[in-house]
Amino acid sequence: MFKLDRKSMINGTSAFAASILLLSGCMDGSASNNDTSTKTVQVSKDGSVSNNDTSTKTVKVSTVGVYEIKNKTAIDGGVTYVKSDGIETAYRYNQQNIKGVSFGRVATANEIKAWDLDALPDGTGLPEGEGSVEDGDELYEAQCASCHGDFGGGGYGYPQLAGGNQDKDKNGIVITLKNQRLEPGMDAPKRTIGTYWPVATTLFTYIRDAMPYATPKSLTSDQTYAITAYILAQNGIEIDGVEMDDEYVLNAEKLAKVVLPNRDGFYPNIDGPTGPADVKAFFADRAKNIGSGTRCMTDCKDPGMDGKTEATVMKIGYEMKDVVPAYSTVRDLPPEIENSLISKAEKQYNESCKLCHATDNMGAPALGDIDAWHELMLKGKDKVVYNAIHGMGGMPAKGGNADLIDSDVKLIVEFMIDSSKKKH
Amino acid sequence: MNKEFQTEELASVSRRNFFKRTATVSVAAAATILTPATVLADDENIMHHTKWGTTLGDEINKNPYGVPSKYEHNVVRRTSALMSSAGDMHAAISMTPLHELNGIIVPNGLHFTRTHNGVAHIDPTKWRLMIHGLVEKTIVLTLDQLKRYPSESKVLFVECPSNGAAEWKGPQFNSVQFVRGMMSCSEWTGVRLKTIIDELGLKPEAKWMLAEGSDGSEMSRTLPIEKVLDDVMIVYAQNGEALRDEQGYPVRLMAPGWEANLCVKWLKRLEFGDKPWYAKEETSKYTALTASGKAIQHFYALETNSIITSPCPEVPWTDLKKGDLVEIEGLAWSGHGTIRGVDISFDGGKNWVEASLKGLVLPKAWTRFSYMHKYDGKPLLLQSRSYDDSDNVQPTVNQEKKVVGVEGVYHRNAIHTWAVNAKGEVNNVQIRS
Ligand code: HEC
Ligand code: HEC
Repeated sequence: MFKLDRKSMINGTSAFAASILLLSGCMDGSASNNDTSTKTVQVSKDGSVSNNDTSTKTVKVSTVGVYEIKNKTAIDGGVTYVKSDGIETAYRYNQQNIKGVSFGRVATANEIKAWDLDALPDGTGLPEGEGSVEDGDELYEAQCASCHGDFGGGGYGYPQLAGGNQDKDKNGIVITLKNQRLEPGMDAPKRTIGTYWPVATTLFTYIRDAMPYATPKSLTSDQTYAITAYILAQNGIEIDGVEMDDEYVLNAEKLAKVVLPNRDGFYPNIDGPTGPADVKAFFADRAKNIGSGTRCMTDCKDPGMDGKTEATVMKIGYEMKDVVPAYSTVRDLPPEIENSLISKAEKQYNESCKLCHATDNMGAPALGDIDAWHELMLKGKDKVVYNAIHGMGGMPAKGGNADLIDSDVKLIVEFMIDSSKKKH
Repeated sequence: MNKEFQTEELASVSRRNFFKRTATVSVAAAATILTPATVLADDENIMHHTKWGTTLGDEINKNPYGVPSKYEHNVVRRTSALMSSAGDMHAAISMTPLHELNGIIVPNGLHFTRTHNGVAHIDPTKWRLMIHGLVEKTIVLTLDQLKRYPSESKVLFVECPSNGAAEWKGPQFNSVQFVRGMMSCSEWTGVRLKTIIDELGLKPEAKWMLAEGSDGSEMSRTLPIEKVLDDVMIVYAQNGEALRDEQGYPVRLMAPGWEANLCVKWLKRLEFGDKPWYAKEETSKYTALTASGKAIQHFYALETNSIITSPCPEVPWTDLKKGDLVEIEGLAWSGHGTIRGVDISFDGGKNWVEASLKGLVLPKAWTRFSYMHKYDGKPLLLQSRSYDDSDNVQPTVNQEKKVVGVEGVYHRNAIHTWAVNAKGEVNNVQIRS
């Protein structure tokens, strides 16, 4: 059995405790790998290593493995390496003074305002505006339901936004999050906004910045509040004890008050003044908190078993084979791709229009749907091209790709019309 | 009959004669030296001139930017509907073909890719980076200005924390590319963030940094200051050239050893604050739900891990004969530090031998391991187990299951098993209860 003494590493987190990593129960014949040596270098008060700083004290650092490490754990439970004499691990550095290297310029107040749109869980940073559940319902149906399902219920393979049982056990843990699919047919833990997400400000900023999927950043603050209100209402969320009915109007102040059911479902603690230290303590005890293996070499029993039963060899039950491109390690000439046959218009269609026009899921006339295209063409090709350039209903101008020039859009529409005609 | 044709024919006639003569000689030689005589057929590829040796090749700069040999067209990233939402390939993952790679550097075109709103294409002249929040002085940089700072290059692996996630409940893909291909390793060049921060001056209240991307998903994540001031970089180059669009052109964050998702692509903004932000990708996703019903958040460092890449389902031992001495090769990596060693088991984890590390052994980078094996045609349960200088050892499937359950999605690093059967075929299996 091979194991490093964990305690010495944890103790080592306090600034410069001069302990070295201990090896207990080294396996035989691996001395070269497990070599532990001690070396003395100068470490200044801020932890950086130097040779010419007068205010230094001497501590021991150890080498476990290939490179010198500082005698403490990093915030992630890993090691930090010693940087000295222009060397850090295998890398060399220019040791000349770089103080004063400075390029770029100060950001203007307006620039910061334009980009600093994030919001914290306490509501800091949320914009002005408001929106009702009812308005959100309408917007959701028009712009989100095609992917996320009616009422946020999912069903099309895109993330489900509402649903799942929020009941908690006596320790305040959402019961269904304890579901473990150990056997086929068992229920999965359901990770929706109502059962899993810790804070509601995330929902607002994410929708505003990233949704709707094909045209992100197209919603106003009012619209975003409305959709956020609608999704929270679908999750049965109450704000300050008030149920979110159709008339409920959400704004920054109210959003900041939302306490989602799974607010306490995460660890380690990251909040408050001790946040980073709590994270560090958690990862320092990795073996306990996350688990680590052991280095047994002969006649090993699986440490994950109870000692009585033996683990068995589990084979692939149902193989996932639908990979793209198909598996092959053959070295031959590729099938000639008839590149010339794919027109520029078709390529541009694939890039900018296919997302919505491949099927009629999103209310767009699907490519190849002869009836749909026949009908819309009754208004005349010019009008149809005009609508594609300027947008109409759920159809954003130029499909949302402002880089397309009008004549390109016309060619794409012609390609779409052509592909949606009766074939003779 | 033109002249060229004549020479061609003459050449082949004389070649045939030569053939006959050597054949006779070698039979005679074989009869006297070797008993019983094994007559090897001459290889056509050696006996004839080749097409490429008898014609003029391409002009020197036919491809001003070089491309791989046409024969390598199957060496590509692969994806699967399972790696996406609803088979939509804009929020999806494509996997690196580990079985086709050599050394520790992944060619840029094969680097694995994860996007949340498609691959963005940024005009580098319009790209800006803003750093603000709890700093004494804010800054806006253009790409040219960023490149003026002293640069640093490091070989680092980048891994999606859901690498191997399809395997929590049992083996699913019969392929090393899909079992472990959500990772790559490159030499990254950029500026150590500390260099810029030192100049701006960090306010003492600053505890966290928000890194935000400029793609359609505005992907953002929170990092603790300790890491930011340790080894985080802002990188603009990968293996000597500009980042590929798929890797965040023109600039991405690089948090060595940490979740690739934290290495925000298409980087736009860094804000320093005293509280964590709770972005979607650190709450709804990238948190690891354990059997307790609670989830680990801010999981950061990728686990100590390893995988045998030869043999594997794609590169089996079906061509070997009993008695052949063959190299077992693989990759080990750890986000906690440097790989110290790798052990190999042939019997599913009961007994282990030490493999050799080979090539460069660098912190937070892929490390190759090697073991010479005498192939005897018997079925094997082949495993590798790595350990690093932070004291982490890869757990067994059952050990990992016991501590975190099977619904965690992220940070899976259980010891992997390939079953080699009597024919030399290799299949993905798990040793589990
Ligand atoms: C074309 C399909 C599509 C449409 C339309 C769409 N989304 Fe999405 N949505 C997605 C995809 C794909 C993701 C996952 C993105 C990722 O992988 O990061 C997502 C993720 C989300 C999430 C995060 C879910 C989670 O659990 O992490 C929310 C919230 C969301 N969308 C809200 C909306 C809202 C609100 C609208 C309408 C304004 C909308 N979406 C329209 C495809 C869509
Ligand atoms: C975000 C989804 C989306 C994208 C992307 C999109 N479309 Fe549409 N498109 C729609 C919807 C929805 C409609 C139906 C609008 C209606 O009937 O109100 C539509 C309708 C159309 C029509 C019929 C117009 C008419 O007069 O009836 C054309 C032509 C069209 N789109 C062309 C394009 C082209 C060209 C592109 C790419 C450059 C594109 N679309 C990209 C959603 C989209």
